[in-house]
Amino acid sequence: MKPSLLLPAAVCSAIIALTGCNKKSADDGSQPSSKKMTEIRAKGSDTMIQLATAWSEAYRKVKPNVMVNANGGGSGTGIAALQNGTTDLCNASREIKPEERAKVKEVTGKDVQEFVVAYDALAVYSNPANPIKEISIEELREIWAEGGSITTWDQVNPAMMGKITLFGRQNNSGTYDYFREHVCGKTADKKQREFRGGISELNGSSEVVENVAKTPTGLGYSGMGYKTPNVNWLHISAKKGEPAVEPGTEAARSGSYPISRKLYIYTAGEPSAEAKAFIDWILSAEGQKIVAQEGFVPLK
Amino acid sequence: MSKLVAPHRAKEAGYISTPQMTKPRGSGPSRARFQLLDRLEKPIEWLIRACGWSSIIGIAAIFIFILKEAAPMVPKLDWIYFFTNSRWIPAPGSGNEASFGALALITGTFAVTGISLLLAVPIGLGAAVYISEFAQGKVKETLKIVIELLAAIPSIVWGFIGLMVLGPIVKGVFSAPVGSPWAHTMQFLHLSSGDAGAAQGTNLLTGGIILALMSVPLIVSLSEDALRAVPDTFREASLALGANQWETVRRVLFPAARNGLLAACMLGMGRAVGETMAVLLATGHSNRIPHALTDPVRTMTATIAAEMGEAVHGDAHYGVLFILGIVLFVVTCSINVAADLIIKGVKGKTS
Repeated sequence: MKPSLLLPAAVCSAIIALTGCNKKSADDGSQPSSKKMTEIRAKGSDTMIQLATAWSEAYRKVKPNVMVNANGGGSGTGIAALQNGTTDLCNASREIKPEERAKVKEVTGKDVQEFVVAYDALAVYSNPANPIKEISIEELREIWAEGGSITTWDQVNPAMMGKITLFGRQNNSGTYDYFREHVCGKTADKKQREFRGGISELNGSSEVVENVAKTPTGLGYSGMGYKTPNVNWLHISAKKGEPAVEPGTEAARSGSYPISRKLYIYTAGEPSAEAKAFIDWILSAEGQKIVAQEGFVPLK
Repeated sequence: MSKLVAPHRAKEAGYISTPQMTKPRGSGPSRARFQLLDRLEKPIEWLIRACGWSSIIGIAAIFIFILKEAAPMVPKLDWIYFFTNSRWIPAPGSGNEASFGALALITGTFAVTGISLLLAVPIGLGAAVYISEFAQGKVKETLKIVIELLAAIPSIVWGFIGLMVLGPIVKGVFSAPVGSPWAHTMQFLHLSSGDAGAAQGTNLLTGGIILALMSVPLIVSLSEDALRAVPDTFREASLALGANQWETVRRVLFPAARNGLLAACMLGMGRAVGETMAVLLATGHSNRIPHALTDPVRTMTATIAAEMGEAVHGDAHYGVLFILGIVLFVVTCSINVAADLIIKGVKGKTS
């Protein structure tokens, strides 16, 4: 063989040998020889991504041969993946819409199965420099919705000055959808009111909190599990003048906090045996303990 | 003294050797090897030709792909609304119609590109002039290497720098207590639109600065090439006539290298228009038409990147995102074609 070809040939055979080695060690690893690695794909909510990852890691210890791959992208992305057939489980922080259910049925031929796995409260965060501590849903509506009348802080409370800087999520987010539905309300002819233009649309739940922490006139919405010491959360009352409720586990579960929601897992058709076992584990005490650890509200 | 021979007679005169002339007689393997090389020449030529054509085929394929994905939406989109309205709501609430008004997105792209060019062109041309005309030896070499390194930084890193480093700095500079003279000046000069200055650090200005830093290496290397292509006789003549170096640069070199410098700037602009990750992180991603320098904005590229994951294949949203892609493609292509025409001097600008 020519000397100039020897080096590339040696490198190629080394690479092939190394990949061969890897395969072998993965096969006769920790599991018995009759079982192989099962992979469950979970896509969707960014609100739930830390929770999904924590579940996945804990489940590895329960069943080492099942690998749950959790990805984010937003609830909308997860439901789209359900339609495209690129995921087994869809994590969603909002309920699936009837037209999306129909689309899944149309494309995959299966009905959507819904599992409620936790509760969450959407907290509205403000900067510590902001003296305002409570707000009503009506005022939030005028701040966030299209055509709303409140644009500066002194319209809410004269104690604070400045234009309200809004931080929200991108439109593929279930949090975006849920907040819009429950805060923006309806127009005069019973249609859903959209968000106003000009909101800074951020990628993830913690990004919203970080931005509010850096902006004295900031206001943003995110899951209550994402609170940091650098932000305050507003107490919210359903109507102006009614007592304002702070986000919390009991308030979310009982519904006294106005912006509380359920977290779902959706599958197209009946989940596979392994996926069903995973969902049952999530609904059991162990899975729910992790829900509480991540800052969400367990089912019981 | 060698004989002067007509080129077509050179072979007979023995000046060009053929394999038949140089190979030693009677050695079989060498002749075989030369014959093998002769036979390989055609296939290798075809291979090289395929490489050359592959770029044209690639561009055509990409354009056809984008057109194909956008085609279902092209007749259904309200094009006038698309270009004149800034209400972009692709995922509406239940029962509402989606609204595809891309004016704010297009404005955002051009605003960020404009700011970046305003910063990048003077800095880039200045650096190119310095490297080409004023720097000597070691300094010149080091500068060239460092500027090439700037080009090697991944765009996502630039995005982080904009978000974490530059954002707080910009916010700090453009902040003022409510009612102070600086706050009023800022609002008057359209530097900020809030009472207390810039509300957030990720805004048009931060995005523009980051894009400028990304375009500078491109502008510097291309301008430096253009300046180097100007013959030394121009410089020598100018200096001999009594001009100093700065006058030479301004009045002799810039007009002489004008085509190349303009093309460099346009290619830098093309880079800024197409940048995605850096602007996604650094501009605040807010759908509005900017009224002040420190307003957050949103670009077409960032919109496509953020929303493509949610768009279901074949949906209206999907089609409109590809239409945004077509708009971007057309803009970048026309910038590149214009740069090319300018280099060739077709626009009638003679030096």
